[in-house]
Amino acid sequence: MNSEEVKIGVYICHCGGNISDKVDVEKVAEDAGNLPDVTVSRTYTFMCADPGQELIVEDIEKHGLNRIVVASCSPSLHETTFRSAVVRGGLNQFLYEHVNIREQVSWVHASTGEATAKATTLVRAAIARVRHHEPLSLIRVGATSRALVLGGGVAGLRAALDLAVYGLPVTIVEKSSRLGGQVAEFGTVFPTGESGAELVRTLVRDVSALEEITVLTGARVTGATGYVGNFTVMVEQERGDGSTEDLEIPAGAVIVATGSRPYEPDMGEFGFGQFPEVVTLPDFIQILNETRADGDLTVNGKMIRRAAFIHCVGSRQIEGIQKPKPGRPLNENCSRICCTATLKAESDLIEKFPGVFVYDLYRDIRTYGRNHEEIYERASRDGVSFLCYEPATPPVVTMAAPDDTGNLLITVKDNLTAGMEIEVAVDLVVLAVGMEPADVGPLAESLKLPAGADGFLQEVHPKLRPVEMAVAGVVLAGTCQSPRDIEESCASASAAAVKVAGLLTRGHVDLEPYVARVNADRCEGTGICLSQCEYDGALKIVESVIDGRAIRKAVVNEALCTGCGACVAVCPTRAIDINGWTLDQFEAMVDAMCADPVEVASD
Amino acid sequence: MSLRADPTLISEIERFGAADVSACFNCGNCTAICPLSKGETVFPRKVIRYLQLGLTEKLEASPEPWLCYYCGECSETCPREANPGEIMMATRRWLISRYDWTGIARKLYTSKVWEVGLTLAVSLFVVLLFVLFHGPMLTDRVSLNTFAPVKWVEYGDWIMAATLSFFLLTNAWRLRRFVMGDVRAGPSIYLSEISTFLSHAMTQKRWRECDHSRMHWLKHFLLVTGYATMLILIMVLLRWFQTDGWNVTSLFGYYATAVLLYVSADMMIGRLRKRHEIHRHSHPTDWMFLILLFLTSLTGILVHLLRMGGMPVPTYVMYVIHLAVAVPMLVVEVPFGKWAHLLYRPLVIYLVTVKAKAKSTVEATETVPVTT
Ligand SMILES: Cc1cc2nc3c(=O)[nH]c(=O)nc-3n(C[C@H](O)[C@H](O)[C@H](O)COP(=O)(O)OP(=O)(O)OC[C@H]3O[C@@H](n4cnc5c(N)ncnc54)[C@H](O)[C@@H]3O)c2cc1C
Ligand code: SF4
Ligand code: SF4
Ligand code: SF4
Ligand code: SF4
Repeated sequence: MNSEEVKIGVYICHCGGNISDKVDVEKVAEDAGNLPDVTVSRTYTFMCADPGQELIVEDIEKHGLNRIVVASCSPSLHETTFRSAVVRGGLNQFLYEHVNIREQVSWVHASTGEATAKATTLVRAAIARVRHHEPLSLIRVGATSRALVLGGGVAGLRAALDLAVYGLPVTIVEKSSRLGGQVAEFGTVFPTGESGAELVRTLVRDVSALEEITVLTGARVTGATGYVGNFTVMVEQERGDGSTEDLEIPAGAVIVATGSRPYEPDMGEFGFGQFPEVVTLPDFIQILNETRADGDLTVNGKMIRRAAFIHCVGSRQIEGIQKPKPGRPLNENCSRICCTATLKAESDLIEKFPGVFVYDLYRDIRTYGRNHEEIYERASRDGVSFLCYEPATPPVVTMAAPDDTGNLLITVKDNLTAGMEIEVAVDLVVLAVGMEPADVGPLAESLKLPAGADGFLQEVHPKLRPVEMAVAGVVLAGTCQSPRDIEESCASASAAAVKVAGLLTRGHVDLEPYVARVNADRCEGTGICLSQCEYDGALKIVESVIDGRAIRKAVVNEALCTGCGACVAVCPTRAIDINGWTLDQFEAMVDAMCADPVEVASD
Repeated sequence: MSLRADPTLISEIERFGAADVSACFNCGNCTAICPLSKGETVFPRKVIRYLQLGLTEKLEASPEPWLCYYCGECSETCPREANPGEIMMATRRWLISRYDWTGIARKLYTSKVWEVGLTLAVSLFVVLLFVLFHGPMLTDRVSLNTFAPVKWVEYGDWIMAATLSFFLLTNAWRLRRFVMGDVRAGPSIYLSEISTFLSHAMTQKRWRECDHSRMHWLKHFLLVTGYATMLILIMVLLRWFQTDGWNVTSLFGYYATAVLLYVSADMMIGRLRKRHEIHRHSHPTDWMFLILLFLTSLTGILVHLLRMGGMPVPTYVMYVIHLAVAVPMLVVEVPFGKWAHLLYRPLVIYLVTVKAKAKSTVEATETVPVTT
């Protein structure tokens, strides 16, 4: 701790009435004002508004404050706001402490007495802690000027192209033998009717023309280390002769674009695997594309005259109705593309083989995208017959009698016909399967990439930060994050590319200073801390010879340390601490809260 | 029991004039707007749904198509422009063909060759009868009753009426079976509701409930009074009506002719202009009917005028032409075509009330508390 006199400013926010309706803010401010080293203690209606922030700046100048505490809403909303006010007042931004008395106090307590006592206690603890704050600086590290794109589908290709245009070298790592992902396999794509293969060819041609982009196909990531700005990704690439080559690719940032794969129905789900006439939508699209218009449409040697498409297979699953596959969660989400893709496939079928009659069995029609509704209308006009089922009573597919008009019989309670049970005989059943995330592989484990309950990779915040992952330097593109169509996949890929370009074109990255630091005077070099650290390279023991004696000391690599604190807990000599979260601070906070408990006034 | 869907019904109903059954996406706007859809009988969406799925038995048992008077409000409202009103019209044509056990109605509706062929055949048969059996053709004065003695014409009328009634009534019997299904109603219920049948048959009063079509209802009502007047003049009063002099019945003849000419001409103009929803779509049989009706009235009044003008031969020739138009019109339209609806509509309304009454009687007896 430095020797200068500590002068603390405390600000209690009303948040309109959001806080002050439940918390007696004046009483909290009065209590704080009586604590040692507190020079100023105020309340204000809206601390985050300009006049509120100015209050802090002026008080710093007028009273020579050097520590600031604001008790207001959640730090995720306004911590940075107040930090910047502190900086404007001429202080280091880390001399600031934030207390959440809205989400954690006024919104969750019924009694004013209890809420006020809790707010008072929290503010006391913050004052105890802020007293120990020291000026810290962001950790600046150099960044590798290369991005690695994992997955060469449309999203990966789009992101790589954008990055190359910003002048950044890119390596695409694609596990299959060709680029383009799923889109390359569709005939034409909705809503434009362009050829999927052609779209992919355009992207691949542009990619090959740019020398910034290196493409590795038949390549598998085996592991990764490092941190934002300085990752190293281990790749094993197949060579033509069947052998493999190991590569280490340095990258400042990683774009994950591993895409998705179609849901594989369970054995017997709508007759799948049980009757050869039950196929998935992607399989059907392929069959349709491969059949000549002047030929007969056959599946497994049987001519198709009537076909039924069933929506929401493997999507929007409901507990108690569907069973999850072993090792997989129930997929409760809508896969978003299957409605439009199904309707398009139906029209394509009818328009290529006008004699075929098509039934569409849906739960809801969700043609949400721009120009998707036209595809629904087109299917209607083409004569598709729609039946609407309830999730609790899905269609049942059975074998038809040998003399029936089709091989399979579907029975379904149809909402559009007053819930009557309708029976349709068909030759083919197409299951509109949803999207499952592809296997991201060892990269996800090495870098600890978070995934949602549905298995899709997860962004920091679904609305405010939809592109970045919680692991700094890793961003998301395309359907590895959630089901989306080509347009949306490319949009997210371009956004990812901009994020990465913003990060890497500066040549360095700034990291938060909340990392471990070793007090060399106390460290005895036992290395117990090392045994607890989960992050490769964050901590090591360095031996040096001083005055002829070999001395062992723990040394932290600030860029790799995540500040988890595991090492702090085990050090026998209290030699290791986390910046801004020292053991001294924790003790001071506990003391402040327990020494002299705040009395709860009755309401 | 599940109902079997039959995808072939859509193309079948399209042959009866429905253009866009599959365009309907079942939103139900049409049912919401329809002024006549209420209570237990909601339409037209339900009917369209049965068509889309090909639920033939459900459709045959549906009274709803007959409860629609084609005011066209649904077609104006349909977001998919599926033309529900016209689909209901086509369904009525299809139903007429389903009630008809001879299969002739179906041929007439689905084949122009049949329609024109049968009309011409009956025409030629009438002409042939006159060529072979006409009476002496007096040329010094007009004597229609010598050329075509009223007694013989009357016999012909009755034979025709008996034959057509036979077909019409047997078809109506089948209609009853379809609509009633397995609901049993005793004769007393049938008798107690007979007034429903009569009042609807005379006035088509349900139609007035669509505000859109008051004018159409009025014209249609006039038309029916015209038919009825003519029917009575020909079937009952022919020996006075077909006079060589002048009889007071002629006054009624003038009224009927005026009404029939005016309304049929008005309807043809309407169909050409297509200003109202009801006239926007015309099936070939609609035209055939209007043309024959117009020509029948026109040739009828010409016979009268030529006779009054003292022109013997033209009068005789016009008389033959008149019958060569009128007879096929009746043969084709009464049991197999448009005219049948004059019976089917009130009959269905009547059966619906009978059925409801029968059901409520059954329920009442079934819910009698059991005492031990
Ligand atoms: C049946 C069906 C029809 C569709 N029709 C249309 C349509 O008409 N129009 C439309 O806009 N959208 C359509 N879509 C959606 C479209 O397929 C996706 O939006 C698009 O494929 C997303 O691209 P992507 O790059 O995110 O993923 P993908 O196309 O899945 O590409 C991912 C790539 O990453 C590779 N990869 C996966 N895992 C790894 C790994 N661990 N390491 C290295 N590489 C890996 C894969 O091999 C693949 O090449 C359809 C989807 C389906 C299922
Ligand atoms: S897009 Fe349609 S078919 Fe696919 S999951 Fe959603 S509602 Fe079901
Ligand atoms: S704080 Fe966590 S990551 Fe950092 S050195 Fe200690 S144990 Fe390792
Ligand atoms: S006919 Fe038109 S208005 Fe009626 S349900 Fe169908 S789409 Fe809707
Ligand atoms: S035409 Fe008129 S009466 Fe017939 S269904 Fe439509 S709205 Fe109802």
